[in-house]
Amino acid sequence: MAKTSKKASAPKAATAKAAPKRKTARRRPAEERPVTVVIAAMGGEGGGVLTAWLVDAARKAGLPVQATSIPGVAQRTGATTYYVEIVPKPYAETGDLEPVLDLYPGPGDIDMMIATELMEVGRAMEKGFISPEKTTLIGSTHRVYTLAEKMAMGDGRYDGDRILDAAKQMSKRHILFDIERAAQDAGTIVNSVLLGAMAGSGVLPIEPEAFKDGIRDSGKAVESNLAGFDVGFAYATGDVVELQTKPAPPKAPAPRPGDSVGDLKGRIERDYPSETHAVVLEACGRCLDYQDAAYARLYLDRLDTVRAIDEDRGDGDFKITNEAARHLGLRMTFEDIMRVAQLKTRRSRFERMRRDVQAQDDQLVRTTEHFKPGPYEFASVLPKGLGRRVVDWADRNPAKARKWHFGLHIRTDTVWGFARVRTLAAMRRLRRRGYRYAEEQDLIEGWLDLVRKAAAVSKPMALETIECARLIKGYSETHKRGVGNYCRIVAEIVEPALAEGVDRAGDIAQARAAALADPEGESLSEAIAAMAEARDGAAVAAE
Amino acid sequence: MERSFAKEVQSLKKGDGEIFEGEGILAVTKAALQSGVSYVGGYQGSPVSHLVDVLNDAKDIMDEYGVHLEICANEAGAAAMLGASIQYPIRGLVTWKSTVGTNVASDALSNLGSVGVTGGAVVILGEDYGEGASIIQERSHAYALKSTLWLFDPRPNLTSIVSLTEKAFELSEASNQPVMVQLRILACHVQGRFEAKDNKHGQFTGNRKLEKPNFDLMKIALPPGTYAQEKHKWEERVPAAIDFIRREKLNETFDGELDDLGIICQGGLYNTVQRSLNHLGLADIYGNSRVPIYCMNVTYPLVPDEISAFCAGKKHVLVVEEGHPAYIEDDVNVILRKADVQTKVHGKGPLPMAGQYTSDVVQNGVSQWIDEIGLPDTNKGSAGARIKYIVGLKTKATKYLGSPVPPRPPTFCTGCPERPVFSAIKLMEKDLGKTHISCDIGCHTFSALPPFSIGQTVLGYGLGLASSTGVAPNFDKRVISIMGDGGFWHNGLSTGVASSVFNRNDSILIVMKNGYTSATGWQWVPSTPKEGNFEQSHMSIEETVRALGVKWQRKVRTYNVAKMVKTLKEAMTTTHEGLKVIIAESECMLAKQRRVKAERTKLIREGKRAVRPRFGIDDDVCTGDHSCIRLSGCPSLTIKANPDPLRTDPIAHVNTGCVGCGLCGEVAHAAILCPSFYKAEIVYNAGPFERWLAGVRQRVIGMVYSPEELRLAPRQEGAMEQEDAAKAA
Repeated sequence: MAKTSKKASAPKAATAKAAPKRKTARRRPAEERPVTVVIAAMGGEGGGVLTAWLVDAARKAGLPVQATSIPGVAQRTGATTYYVEIVPKPYAETGDLEPVLDLYPGPGDIDMMIATELMEVGRAMEKGFISPEKTTLIGSTHRVYTLAEKMAMGDGRYDGDRILDAAKQMSKRHILFDIERAAQDAGTIVNSVLLGAMAGSGVLPIEPEAFKDGIRDSGKAVESNLAGFDVGFAYATGDVVELQTKPAPPKAPAPRPGDSVGDLKGRIERDYPSETHAVVLEACGRCLDYQDAAYARLYLDRLDTVRAIDEDRGDGDFKITNEAARHLGLRMTFEDIMRVAQLKTRRSRFERMRRDVQAQDDQLVRTTEHFKPGPYEFASVLPKGLGRRVVDWADRNPAKARKWHFGLHIRTDTVWGFARVRTLAAMRRLRRRGYRYAEEQDLIEGWLDLVRKAAAVSKPMALETIECARLIKGYSETHKRGVGNYCRIVAEIVEPALAEGVDRAGDIAQARAAALADPEGESLSEAIAAMAEARDGAAVAAE
Repeated sequence: MERSFAKEVQSLKKGDGEIFEGEGILAVTKAALQSGVSYVGGYQGSPVSHLVDVLNDAKDIMDEYGVHLEICANEAGAAAMLGASIQYPIRGLVTWKSTVGTNVASDALSNLGSVGVTGGAVVILGEDYGEGASIIQERSHAYALKSTLWLFDPRPNLTSIVSLTEKAFELSEASNQPVMVQLRILACHVQGRFEAKDNKHGQFTGNRKLEKPNFDLMKIALPPGTYAQEKHKWEERVPAAIDFIRREKLNETFDGELDDLGIICQGGLYNTVQRSLNHLGLADIYGNSRVPIYCMNVTYPLVPDEISAFCAGKKHVLVVEEGHPAYIEDDVNVILRKADVQTKVHGKGPLPMAGQYTSDVVQNGVSQWIDEIGLPDTNKGSAGARIKYIVGLKTKATKYLGSPVPPRPPTFCTGCPERPVFSAIKLMEKDLGKTHISCDIGCHTFSALPPFSIGQTVLGYGLGLASSTGVAPNFDKRVISIMGDGGFWHNGLSTGVASSVFNRNDSILIVMKNGYTSATGWQWVPSTPKEGNFEQSHMSIEETVRALGVKWQRKVRTYNVAKMVKTLKEAMTTTHEGLKVIIAESECMLAKQRRVKAERTKLIREGKRAVRPRFGIDDDVCTGDHSCIRLSGCPSLTIKANPDPLRTDPIAHVNTGCVGCGLCGEVAHAAILCPSFYKAEIVYNAGPFERWLAGVRQRVIGMVYSPEELRLAPRQEGAMEQEDAAKAA
């Protein structure tokens, strides 16, 4: 784009007449079409520069070329789509005929589709820009999550594998890899990797070396852009192959050594089937870390009662145990202020933080924690009776309670700040006397009781009841809302079902999904009302 | 400005016979210089924001030719500039986004169109029509009809765009009327080339000034001039324009062998029509079509005898006209009826009534038409095969995907200073209940989208406050209006603030003061900060509002969510009646980052101390509820797979795009969300004392850790692999 003046004086371009040709003697075959390229890029990926590289290379090769762009609604946050048409027949061969090129990409008519993110690959398919007859697809497998996916209270992620499968079916050729990571590894941004992949795909009527010349001519970030180009080229020519969205599932966690874990480990390995070891060891170790060895033993004592269900069932499948082990571990290590303080003062945590914020070894990192404890947090460390009273007051006066939150910004990289948080962490030795502990243990016992009863009804019923524990998570209002939703589902669906001995696994799953649909709880209310109506209707019909 | 055209504008200096290669918008500027303009002006808005930027960057070239550049306060101001052409033989060009800009400009345009011009007066309309448009969908054509302004719709290649822009000046002078040149969004951004000509000096310019004023009462909107103007318009100017268009062959006829058929299209759609014929095997890509085409580069006025001559002897013609109402199609029918030409006119029917005429829409329409009338040498129905293929492609994709891909709606940028205001409104409404919120045009209109879903109405640029005045007296809570600083200076100052004070309205106005018209790419407004310092801006919104008589006024730094919530609550509940103005101030983050990053890079390079702030989330403290995302929606606040083997819900995660604006922490704080967030300040080139102190701190803190605890550290990535390796060894 920037280099127009220079190019115009180049001998090749100067001979080309830009005036429109109204009529030519003979019509050429309709099949002589331009090579069409759609680039769906997002902000900061250098899509504009990529298009300019492409246009410049085509111009240098004496080929007619036209490019345009459709910016997103906001200039920067939306995706920008670039559309390029290159006529493979040079001006020299047609007697400087000026083609009529389209500004809109046509569905079913795209030779090369570039999408810099996996969901955009899917969107390109929806628009008809990827066809099995014509399209070479160059797409990235990495994800930039959409807001809808991010906002979900549970897991709202779109299944990327579906897009990969579809892409394989829908394209003539697919070159799919994590372009973002490839660019990072090469120390550059996405556009040069894409240019390499485009050149390597062999679809464009331009020699790969011409693109490299273009990078060199631009004189900007030449080394890193060439490195990126080579990486992209290697992927497109099949020298590197990669096709996966999800990282390999985490392997079984390492059992953690500890003074009394030895016994516990022995007990787990003796009593539990091997397919549950990974989760049980992890969860048991976590309880140990959370409180003490007695607490870890309590975990196993509780889990033993669930294991017994699977053993009685005798189908050799320990799914109930596995799922219960996972949730029990999480429920027993509920997040209170002492736990947060404990996690925040870990040495490994500071190491992870340095990695996350990309601090180099020679740089210092100052860390400020954001705490805002309020009545619920104070109650959790108060003795049971006193804590109950504080919580009751806070429940009755939410507006006042909100004022009794204290904003703390603590610098944990200083000795004093660290010491304060560390002291808070040490207070976990008092946890058992606290109000929150008592509350949580009651909830846990109640939940396990339901699980055991549900198992008597059916396996799905047991699994769904176990999964309800997932609703309880987070801090302050989030936690309160979670407990509220959990108790509601238990009281309105699980307990009535168990009392009647009916299998309502489907209803439970549906209610849980509704509870995670909106924070206001409207979906859950609607779902429960609809279920009640359906059951009433069924009851009437039965009569 | 967001984008610099400093390099590109050099090509504006090209002379006779040189090849100009570049973007459509730049080509229009070159056409203006080749036409000898004396003044240019405009108001930014996609897709012609860049035209204003180009003009700005081309200042030295403009100066050489004595061309004055005016960055107008709004489109009305830009249109009024053309008033210079009424009395004097000087050429001018102005630009804005249409149709919204044309709406604002219409008062001046009506006067201009009635009085008529002496010097060439040209308006470049950036048409934002189509699926990605952020404005209401209407046709600028209506303005051409209403105010008798000639309307060009050039073929979308640079040669046509440039030569027609030049012809627009000539036509304007030949017929004494202003000309509007319509450029669709893709044509504005098209990269192409044309053969340049020398730039020209205007007859009178900043370098060669007028010496005495002209006076002519007949050019004033007073009787008897007004009727005389109307008469002159229809008896002299319209025929003169039609003569010029015919004589200069501004519309183009392309012959084809199937001479009982024809297509009449707007120039801007010509390439797409050609491609659709190409797909049906009826044309090559060099513009040789078997179906004759009449390409209207001028869509108003029409040239009746050209149209009837084109249609004479044809059985069927298809009119390809984008948008509704179908003014051209209707006129073609009337013209043929009057000329007693019996050609059947098709148009809306095979083609859709409204909506953007994209590649597949036109293909679909042309194919349907061909199938309807039947070609002598092809099988009936064969044209539809391609459409079936395209539909099949999309259906297949939908089937393979299983469910629709989640949309990616536009949103506030990373670290945007406007986002916290909406977080604060959400938190305020939690306590005081929801109220009516009148929104405005600007980046802040995105508040209507998730995660905020705030705002009941948008009525136009700068009209946020004015649009609340009918609701406020009928609503049981105080209503809130929102206006950007761009909208404030565009017209909100008088239409909104002055009017509200005058009417003693009891409502709340939030002015988003980020320093620029940022949605269009950081063009300056009167209150634009100097070097990021709002105190040094040219004009002050606070003082202006005070001068207008607003008694209750607060200024809040937007990132201070807690204070913003408190201020909003105060505004909602105070006994003070009358307009309450909250100025939500913080510089546009993109503008700020560009400056701050450059400064930091410089410091680091020089080996001086620099600090980069960032936010982060502790993986093991986050439980994956995403409340923080629902209150912020920042692009850099995202999710990632949960590294905890016991959990399945993804956790929140701050990616490397974070600019450390602090909203995450503020929201977590104000909303009492969760303690996962931390702020990290990365110190580059720390001094010896700071290093020593940090070292001491680390050693003291390190003494706390027992070996046992270090072993009990939470699982790290790769821990297992290490253990496996150890076992294997």
